[in-house]
Amino acid sequence: MWLSGCSGCHMSLLDIDERILELVKHVDILFSPIVDIKVKDMPYVDVGIVEGCVNNTDQEHELKMLRERCKVLIALGDCAVTGNVPSLRNQFALKDCLSRAYEQTESTKIACIPNDPVVPKLLPKAHPLQEIVKVDLHIPGCPPDADCIWFALTELLAGRIPQLNEKNMRYD
Amino acid sequence: MIAPKKISITINGQVCEGEQGQTILEIARANNIYIPTLCYMKGLTPWGGCRLCIVEVEGNPKVVPSCATPAVDGTKITTHNDRLVALRKATLELLFSERNHICPICPYNKGDCGLQHQGLAHGITGIRYPYLYPALPVDVTGRYFGIDHNRCILCTRCIRTCDEIEGVHTLDVSSRGIKNQIVVDMNTTFGASDTCTQCGACVVSCPTGALFDKAAAFRGQWTSSVQILTTCTECPVGCGLKVHTKENRIVNVWGDPDSPVNTGHLCVKGRYQTWAEPRDRITTPLIKGQPATWDEALAAIKKAAKVKKAEKALLVAPRVTNETAAAIAGVAGKFGQTAMFVGANEAALCAEPSFTGDALRKLQDADAIIVLGAQPTRDNGVVASRIRVAVRKRGAKLLIFHARKSELDRHADVAANVVSLESKLWNKVKAALAGAQRPAIVYGPNAMTPIGVTVMERLIAIFEANTGGSEPLLIGLPVSANALAMSRAGIPAVEEVGPWLDAKPLKFLHIVVGDALDGGAGLLEEKYVPALLERIDCLVVQASYKSALTDKASVVLPATIWCEKTGTVTNLEGRELPLRPVVTVAGEARDDKAILESVYA
Repeated sequence: MWLSGCSGCHMSLLDIDERILELVKHVDILFSPIVDIKVKDMPYVDVGIVEGCVNNTDQEHELKMLRERCKVLIALGDCAVTGNVPSLRNQFALKDCLSRAYEQTESTKIACIPNDPVVPKLLPKAHPLQEIVKVDLHIPGCPPDADCIWFALTELLAGRIPQLNEKNMRYD
Repeated sequence: MIAPKKISITINGQVCEGEQGQTILEIARANNIYIPTLCYMKGLTPWGGCRLCIVEVEGNPKVVPSCATPAVDGTKITTHNDRLVALRKATLELLFSERNHICPICPYNKGDCGLQHQGLAHGITGIRYPYLYPALPVDVTGRYFGIDHNRCILCTRCIRTCDEIEGVHTLDVSSRGIKNQIVVDMNTTFGASDTCTQCGACVVSCPTGALFDKAAAFRGQWTSSVQILTTCTECPVGCGLKVHTKENRIVNVWGDPDSPVNTGHLCVKGRYQTWAEPRDRITTPLIKGQPATWDEALAAIKKAAKVKKAEKALLVAPRVTNETAAAIAGVAGKFGQTAMFVGANEAALCAEPSFTGDALRKLQDADAIIVLGAQPTRDNGVVASRIRVAVRKRGAKLLIFHARKSELDRHADVAANVVSLESKLWNKVKAALAGAQRPAIVYGPNAMTPIGVTVMERLIAIFEANTGGSEPLLIGLPVSANALAMSRAGIPAVEEVGPWLDAKPLKFLHIVVGDALDGGAGLLEEKYVPALLERIDCLVVQASYKSALTDKASVVLPATIWCEKTGTVTNLEGRELPLRPVVTVAGEARDDKAILESVYA
């Protein structure tokens, strides 16, 4: 699931390269940015992997829904674990952030903060996943190394909780 | 002195020998037993603030910080068990949650950060506490470094370094509890600070990316850089440099902790000014301002040099290596006159060069320090830091005579910037020096003026009366980097270039500016010199950086700079210190010595 993140963690997942062929022998990818299923049809799964932090009301809803529909929830990458870059805005008031982004940029032509009801409302702060739901495993990194992701997935497949350490883990 | 009592403690079942007064951490380190630390730094007063170094002492229900707990003979220590590791993890998680530690946007990531290293080493994947996301300022007003409070863990290593090594105590902590913050002076900025000397020692001491060098940021990690030791050539102190390099570029410049001269400390000149300032480097020979080949340039010089010997002169900056100095002495016979240009009153200081062995270490042990006619805060920052530490930390008296007003004055018992010979002043001086047993006189160029000599004589008389005849430690402190050794090599010093140029009509003048940071422009500030240079048919300037002087030259020869050189310099202690090439030579620049030999030998 892709929340407020740059999709770099998804790219890092793809960086497991040909091992992905091995992976799909054991798992089905049922829900993802590359699988065209609407949120309302979110399937029940064994493992839910989330990239990005929770920034708006839709993301909060999606994350809570996934929590209900998965057995193991993994926060993948620094945004999901700590808030990371999207959480830089937490130091400022929401209206100041919106004003800076939509009214004061150097390229602003028509100052207008989006207010269509279709657009999800930003939360006052960006939240790492664990502030919204219970997280079973954190995999930090910006992004986590492909080897680290592979290690975590294979451990889960073997029925173990992955124990990350200094050698396979990173924060940057 | 009585030797400290030997003690023995058991750490993790291993018997470790130590001395009475050593902390548990010191004994553990000496015995290669690892205890994680963040606020501990060798050479600074222990703080005991980060709580990572906690250990269990048998019989004590509490854990104790090993960095601040003196070892007691016969005790049994445990450094790692489930309880200690759990406590350390909790401490680290609190540190991570307290401020905005966003590793991906920090230049100290990927190994340079102590906090990140400890987090990873303790296997911390997520934080169990809510992140506070405080709104904290970033101060980038300093010329060479900034402070980002978002990344600060309040370990106070910067404060202790500023206080105990540089001796200025610019940094401290303000406010209480969660609002604790490092402050500059009385809550101002680095840019507005009137006490910060910009030595950058705080940045080196910072275990996180809170204090960061602007020029070094994002140039590469120092932990994975190649470190090359060389010597600073900006003043006669000759501090050891540890230059971090990557892919043939300088990442950062730190002091060499193993150098007996500066023991790791540097001033703003060695730490930043040589490399963190934009300068126009000369990389090819120039003839009348146009790029030329070396062959063309050398041919042009050889042609122009076919004049009478008396009409040719060689003028040298007082900062070349000993090897270049020898080469200059070797080719001097081909010129009517040869000299090095030094600052006001410096010629007398160089005339009979005197070196004081181990001067910097002895200076820090002095109980009374006289600064006479020298400007250590401006010219020799590391000497100034040694003086401040002796005065502020060890109670040494400080008296300043015949020097411009400087930051050092406020630490002084007597600051007679303009010396009077009134008895009122001298009664004060005698009172301040009463009982001084290990006095030191740091004398600079102005000590060579008539008034300086008078003051020196009076001071020595006072000291001799005090100590029953033993002489004070005398430390000659020239401004020019290698003037003493160059003088010893037989190159005469000249203070006023104007009269020297005017003494004989010249047709050919070769100026060796070398890697002087101003490219020799300082010469033009002297009265009449620009006009006198205009009268010379062929002006050859050998320099590393473009300047108003190189603009005037008929031929410019590109010289190598400090980080490209091989050779030695001699510092004021008489130590022969090596220069080692750190990066490859830029463009077609050549070594000063090689240039002189290819033209005149």
